Amino acid sequence: MKQSNKYLFLIRKSIGILVFALLCFNLAAQDQGSGIEPDMKAKPVKNTFEGNWVLDNQSVMVSTKGTLEMDIQHRFGVFNNGYKDIYGIMAPSNIRLGFSYVVINNLQLGFGLTKERLQWDLNGKLALVKQMTSGGWPISITYFGNIVIDSRSKENFVTGSDRISYFNQLIFARKFSDKISLQVSPSLSHFNNVPGYKDSDGNINNRLNNEHVAIAFMGKFQLKEGMNLLANYDQPLTTHPLSNPRPNLSLGIEFVTSGHSFQLLLGNYQAIVPQTNNLFNQNNYKDWDFCIGFNITRLWNL
Amino acid sequence: MKNYVFIILALISLPFLTSSFTNSNFKEWPVPDKYKKMTNPVKSSAKTIADGKALWSKHCQSCHGKTGMGDGTKAAQLKTEPGDFTKSATQGQTDGSLFYKIMEGREDMPSFKKKIPDQDDIWSIVNFIRTLKK
Repeated sequence: MKQSNKYLFLIRKSIGILVFALLCFNLAAQDQGSGIEPDMKAKPVKNTFEGNWVLDNQSVMVSTKGTLEMDIQHRFGVFNNGYKDIYGIMAPSNIRLGFSYVVINNLQLGFGLTKERLQWDLNGKLALVKQMTSGGWPISITYFGNIVIDSRSKENFVTGSDRISYFNQLIFARKFSDKISLQVSPSLSHFNNVPGYKDSDGNINNRLNNEHVAIAFMGKFQLKEGMNLLANYDQPLTTHPLSNPRPNLSLGIEFVTSGHSFQLLLGNYQAIVPQTNNLFNQNNYKDWDFCIGFNITRLWNL
Repeated sequence: MKNYVFIILALISLPFLTSSFTNSNFKEWPVPDKYKKMTNPVKSSAKTIADGKALWSKHCQSCHGKTGMGDGTKAAQLKTEPGDFTKSATQGQTDGSLFYKIMEGREDMPSFKKKIPDQDDIWSIVNFIRTLKK
């Protein structure tokens, strides 16, 4: 009970900070004359972010109906081993291949396979409200969720349901000008099975809770047309019995063309699957445990 | 003597060879009257030109070049000539004709009606193309 109260307090506090920040930024943007001027017709604001991904997290964007996207994501090993493994490039890496398709307006469905733990993910993204050019909502809100199945051999599990984990995220974002967009994404991860340990009395205890609450902050700064700087920070909010996950700091540069986007990044997260990143990350930015990585997407309009 | 015959034949055939080559690159692109006569509903302004420019940079520049001279990074790989948009061959067309060609595409030029679903955005690109005139 105490733990759930703590979650609620943290979520309320985070949402309070978010609303306050959005209001402050909103006023600042109005004062400075943001690039989003009122049009004759109010329309949803375009290109808050320029693709599905902002480094390690989902963006608020859902493409137009009929868009098929292929994702190739790669994370090399940690950077700080230096020349021993050529700054992680020759170290064991993680890869995800994925596809998503916008089946109806504002709803995208997808799937992917990640090398680490052979995790299959089925995911959905629903744009709930969209920031308008004038009037209407001042922010965009999108839901992202997935179910992930760890498909390693059965020796790794006691029951079949131990393979399953879930991720739910609400994404709040605002495009302040053609140059700047910001996003805040609180999330809830759930693993049916978490690692345990035997205490001195021989009792088996969980090292981690099954649920984990986190919040991610990210931003885009447009350097020029088709080229953006991206930044992302993930803060774990749940305190676990042992092995508390570390926050993630990632920075990257994005190149966007009509049918492709390419993000080159440096960050602490290596797992790519969001709930695995949020619960199991032990890379610490204070120790320079950064990985080089990239996200490549290819779009088709069917 | 044989050399003279060869040179004369080569000179005679040269115009035919080059004219057929030119025709394949500059095939006429008919536009339905309905589109030719369309007026641009998006008023040209600093805002709509900037919107058009942003879309041009993302979707058009790689073939047509930054200033519309047909010298984009992918232009050399195209089978069809991307044209020089600074010249009257493009600038002399109606807004509606340009709108139609962006919407529908043909051969190397893709159709943008799915990629840019908001028609006002395509009209904004037309507004930007007008700024390329020299």
